Amino acid sequence: MERRTALKSLAVAAGGLISLPGWANGWARGSMPANGALLTTAQNELLAEFVEVIIPETKTPGAKSLGIHQFVERMVTDCYEPAAQESFKKGVGIVEEMAQISYGKPFVSCQPTQRNELVTKLSTSADGGQKGFYSLVKGLTIRGYMSSEYVMTNLTHYEFAPARYLGCVPVVSKAVSEKK
Amino acid sequence: MANFNIDVKAATTYDAIVIGSGISGGWAAKELTEKGLRTLVLERGRDVRHIADYPTTMMQPWEFEHRNQLPLDVKKANPIISKCYAFYEGTTQFFVKDAEHPYVQEKPFDWIRGYQVGGKSLMWARQTQRWSDFDFDGPARDGFAVDWPIRYADIAPWYSYVEKFAGISGNKDGLATLPDGEFLPAHQWNCVEKYFSQQIAGKYKDRHVIMGRAAHITKPNPIHMQQGRAQCQHRTICERGCPYGGYFSSNASTIPWAMKTKKLTLRPDSVVHSIIYDEKKGKATGVRVIDANTKQMIEFYARIIFVNAAALNSNLILLNSTSNRFPNGLGNDSGVLGKYVAFHNYRGGISGEYDGFLDSTTEGRRPNSPYIPRFRNVFKQETSGPASRFLRGYAAGFSAGRSSRTNQEGHGVSLKENLVNPQLGGWYVGSHMMGETIPKESNYVALDKGLKDPFGIPQLKISIDYDENDDKMVKDYQEQMTEMFTAAGFKNIRVRDDHRNPGLDIHEMGGVRMGKDPKTSMLNKWHQLHACKNVFVTDGASMTSTSTQNPSLTYMAFSARAADYAVKEMKKQNL
Repeated sequence: MERRTALKSLAVAAGGLISLPGWANGWARGSMPANGALLTTAQNELLAEFVEVIIPETKTPGAKSLGIHQFVERMVTDCYEPAAQESFKKGVGIVEEMAQISYGKPFVSCQPTQRNELVTKLSTSADGGQKGFYSLVKGLTIRGYMSSEYVMTNLTHYEFAPARYLGCVPVVSKAVSEKK
Repeated sequence: MANFNIDVKAATTYDAIVIGSGISGGWAAKELTEKGLRTLVLERGRDVRHIADYPTTMMQPWEFEHRNQLPLDVKKANPIISKCYAFYEGTTQFFVKDAEHPYVQEKPFDWIRGYQVGGKSLMWARQTQRWSDFDFDGPARDGFAVDWPIRYADIAPWYSYVEKFAGISGNKDGLATLPDGEFLPAHQWNCVEKYFSQQIAGKYKDRHVIMGRAAHITKPNPIHMQQGRAQCQHRTICERGCPYGGYFSSNASTIPWAMKTKKLTLRPDSVVHSIIYDEKKGKATGVRVIDANTKQMIEFYARIIFVNAAALNSNLILLNSTSNRFPNGLGNDSGVLGKYVAFHNYRGGISGEYDGFLDSTTEGRRPNSPYIPRFRNVFKQETSGPASRFLRGYAAGFSAGRSSRTNQEGHGVSLKENLVNPQLGGWYVGSHMMGETIPKESNYVALDKGLKDPFGIPQLKISIDYDENDDKMVKDYQEQMTEMFTAAGFKNIRVRDDHRNPGLDIHEMGGVRMGKDPKTSMLNKWHQLHACKNVFVTDGASMTSTSTQNPSLTYMAFSARAADYAVKEMKKQNL
């Protein structure tokens, strides 16, 4: 008990005394990953625009507003090997670099058509790392989107407790998402 | 002081002790308490109360942070339990993590365990097929293990007894090889399953595809409503615990039922160290328990003891119960304790496609699937043809479903539209085998001489392997199912042998086998230790052979039958 109290007061003291070393003065908002996160806030914002290219907003929400980029980062952080996490981080960097080279501005500041062009370029890249990044993010985006509350509730009409199994029902020609 | 000791002893003395609260321990508890015995149930794991302690049961798919995938650190810390099909983000709380209870793998063995009130009855696969005399006859007819001391007639009324209470769905199929039971309405077939069943019936007189008998309340009877259980809602997330009590578990059924008698004391966090044997009295007098929280050893006393710790842990407890009279484990005069352990061979599988019935599909979900009872070497051991190459045979699960395809090309608006407009594909079909393995002296468990678990109890050393008979059976299953799939017009047939480790079937059995002769077996026909009659073992450890049925229903019937006998013997002052 005493030890915990001691640690607590130490933390308070440290909070009051915080001063950054010189080399850290350049840190801007979003330039450091939050506690335990793989990407910086800025990189996460890039990822949000990237998944939005994969599944854009139409008359229904796209991947960004459904928070799929958070899901993608969470999955890579918790469920993938360190090597895959590194190539994921590297991939985000490459996207940013490509945006700078092609359009002279950050990916998030590019026009939707420009972003789409960059993502398409990645998807057809001969570079295994670039293509791999695209496939990884796309796969997880699809998974996050299809298992999102919005899609399962409004578009694919998931039944949590169907209370039945009917073995032989006629095929309905209408697509699932049209049933409204 | 003397009075104080007497009081302590009285406070820790019961009429009966049941070790374990899983599927068989729950039944023992229900039967003994209903018959008026003050019963102490010792459970090594924590308490899991029905509904209140099912934290993920109402969680929607999107509420799982990793959409039910296991995080990498969980997988890396738990290479064994992570292999289990039912271990995922929503169920990790119900399985024993690898480091919790270490054991020695003299040969690779995936020991899948659930340490909590309810044990594995919370996460089981709920298939409940009866044995017939073609199963009980096996060892005697084919000359392996020892003859079972019971036959179908001994157990049939107890099957009926437990089925009515547990709630078993199924059809009356009229098969001698898989006797009918007391069934609630069966689950539906889909078109392709029905078609396959008809094709097989037309082509083979001895092969049948039936709807699996499963412990699901498809239509509750008053006895189920009295338990507070309701109709199964087809959610098919049973292993997270069911708030409706739609499938049978100790938690939903037998334990609360026993609790209502006011005769039950349920003591979770109680790791049984050993059974106390009194040489003067010539019987067991109680149980040594290590309290999982305080690590203190406590003794409890009773006139009879039921050992229902799950097959291998029941072996472990008896092996660790040594005395001058039984230096090699309680009741182990024969030296067979821990030996002749067997399991079910799940290695073989097959898949295929069918391009008929394209105008039909399915709706909803089904927590069950069709079943193919054993058809090899059933009525006699074949002396020619492929089935003559091996002893015994296999049952099989079978199911069909309509696939759907999604065009996942590219990205953008077209991908988005395609994703929510899947195209119906053809039907897929699949099956897996459940092969009988032959109990052998060389497949055994024993106490490790040096290594201890975190409670200071010797670790269990497991030495169990496949043999040539199993390999031949996998091959025959693949050949016969290929023939049957081909005959039904299924295409793109692919067979597999996943060479999984024994144990992953979660059907380990034996080691404390029943038999007529105390020289070659541990238990008599009433599940009593031959050499210590007030100790009963009614879980998987008591199995003399494995046959091919999912075994839990048989353990339920064993437990109810043995409890009935035990109470009668107590009344006659024989125990």
